[in-house]
Amino acid sequence: MSGSGRGAGSALRVEGLRAGYGKITVLWDVDLHVDEGELVTIIGANGAGKTTLLRAISGLVPVRAGSVTAFGARRLAGLSPARIVRSQVGHVPEGRQLFPLMTVRENLESGAEYLPHARASAARNREFVYGLFPRLAERAPQLAGTLSGGERQMLAIGRALMSDPKLLLVDEPSLGLAPALVRTVFAALQEIRARGVTVVLVEQNVQQSLRISDRAYVLENGEVVKAGSGAALLGDPEVRAAYLSM
Amino acid sequence: MNRLLRDLLVALALGGLLALLPAALRELFGRSAVSYLTLATNALLLGVLALSWDMLARTGQLSLAHAAFTGVGAYSAAVLLRFAEVPVWLGIPLGGVLAALLALVLGAATLRLYGIYFAIATLAFTEVLRTVVQKLPAHIAGGAPGINVPPLFRPTFVAGQMERWEVAFLRNQGYFWVYLGLLVLAVAISIALQRSRLRSAFTAIRTNEEVAGVMGVNPARTKLVAFAVSSFVAGLLGAVEAHRLGSVSPDGSFAVHTTVLALVTPIFGGLYTTVGPILGAGVLAALEETLKRTFSEGYLIGYGIVLVASILFMPRGLVGLLTGIGRRLTGRGSRGAGATTGTLDGTPLPSGDPPSASTEAKP
Repeated sequence: MSGSGRGAGSALRVEGLRAGYGKITVLWDVDLHVDEGELVTIIGANGAGKTTLLRAISGLVPVRAGSVTAFGARRLAGLSPARIVRSQVGHVPEGRQLFPLMTVRENLESGAEYLPHARASAARNREFVYGLFPRLAERAPQLAGTLSGGERQMLAIGRALMSDPKLLLVDEPSLGLAPALVRTVFAALQEIRARGVTVVLVEQNVQQSLRISDRAYVLENGEVVKAGSGAALLGDPEVRAAYLSM
Repeated sequence: MNRLLRDLLVALALGGLLALLPAALRELFGRSAVSYLTLATNALLLGVLALSWDMLARTGQLSLAHAAFTGVGAYSAAVLLRFAEVPVWLGIPLGGVLAALLALVLGAATLRLYGIYFAIATLAFTEVLRTVVQKLPAHIAGGAPGINVPPLFRPTFVAGQMERWEVAFLRNQGYFWVYLGLLVLAVAISIALQRSRLRSAFTAIRTNEEVAGVMGVNPARTKLVAFAVSSFVAGLLGAVEAHRLGSVSPDGSFAVHTTVLALVTPIFGGLYTTVGPILGAGVLAALEETLKRTFSEGYLIGYGIVLVASILFMPRGLVGLLTGIGRRLTGRGSRGAGATTGTLDGTPLPSGDPPSASTEAKP
């Protein structure tokens, strides 16, 4: 997490991105950009392609056309996930995906273990994670499989932070969490952004996610149909009707 | 002293102690010591086989190709000795190296296969290899009857100074020490893996390969490392066994039975640990011998019942069972949310009930 506040540079630029699974194309010519230090949310209905978008950026889904560029010059399309994370692009996957038979501490350490740049800053990042989620410090020797849903989400975010990202992709962190825990997780994302880490958030909790976002994109059927500031989209009648039932 | 060095020294010390077993058996049982020594040697062999299989299983790959690796090790030693007169001390390690090279080829070809598809591919590979060896010209690989391989130990009977049974004892003692050496080597490799970054890389790949990727693990490379290490040990074992049995043959050296033992033993003893496969080997070897002596006919039925029962009632194997008993005895109750425990080689286990099969399954 070597960012130092909001800058003017580009953290992520996606142009004409097409991606999918097998014969099915999920994303159709998606364009978006995220500036350094921003918190940008991708909203959309189930099956709109939000998760696929994050997975394509991380290299988990092959890019069929278009380009993905991080920090102005680093082309990510075609690289393996292991190479992309070395470009300081972290990913908190949907469903947390922890290692249940490893302790909280081991799960955290595993986030930095294979990345030379992250190993060098592991102690600092661990302190940041424990400061962000004191519950994880208390549970450090406990097995991840015994944690509650909220704690698991904290650990999933913490593990990704241990990879020392400058750009963090977060997939549905509020999924299955009680409202109080959702607020905790969103507050943590704001704190992460305040530390200089650019955040791209995929969420179905539209109201709360737009509130904390600098900007947002609306994805429908694999295409970007709207973009704007979080506040503007919160006030958009179509967004309110489609996602907020208002 | 770091943990790796400490564990290696403990393994070496235990190996040293175990090296005294033949002398102790001879002292205790006299003539009967030969059969006990054979049993102990078989247990060591099974331990090496099981531990080598477990090293690959830690990446989540259920390989059914272990007989292929032991077979290649056996045939390499036999063929190299036959045509190039490669000395035994070189032929056995070369058996391991060739098995590892073959594993890299198989590993690269099956990287994208998972679960049952990977298992079937590896089983098919063994069968293909067996058939190829059988169909090779007889002057190369000996055809279906195979090739004779000289023994590593030929103790001579000295009339008046020793009894007849002592010749068999000395021969078995030699193999016991060789297998003990192999087991110490396998344990050292296993401990080194468990104490290195590869341990959590293996766990990550086994739990979720995609997540492993976004953590910076290269799953393909890591699985190939596991494949090579596992098959190297299996190849060494096959080469030594060729000398012990006195011959190699397609049906014997590539027998599916070898693969079955390689995977059943760690499951029985405790997967993904160093101690589990060895413990499983000791107990299963003793169980098989006892059943054989009790029910000379159909002892395999009893053996099968024990294995099925153990899988049903000991999902984490003997290691899980013993760890649970240890927890109860020491009063470290299992219900506290903060409780953590570890297996004998430091692999943590969850408190409370054993995890269900889905605990570590891919989402």
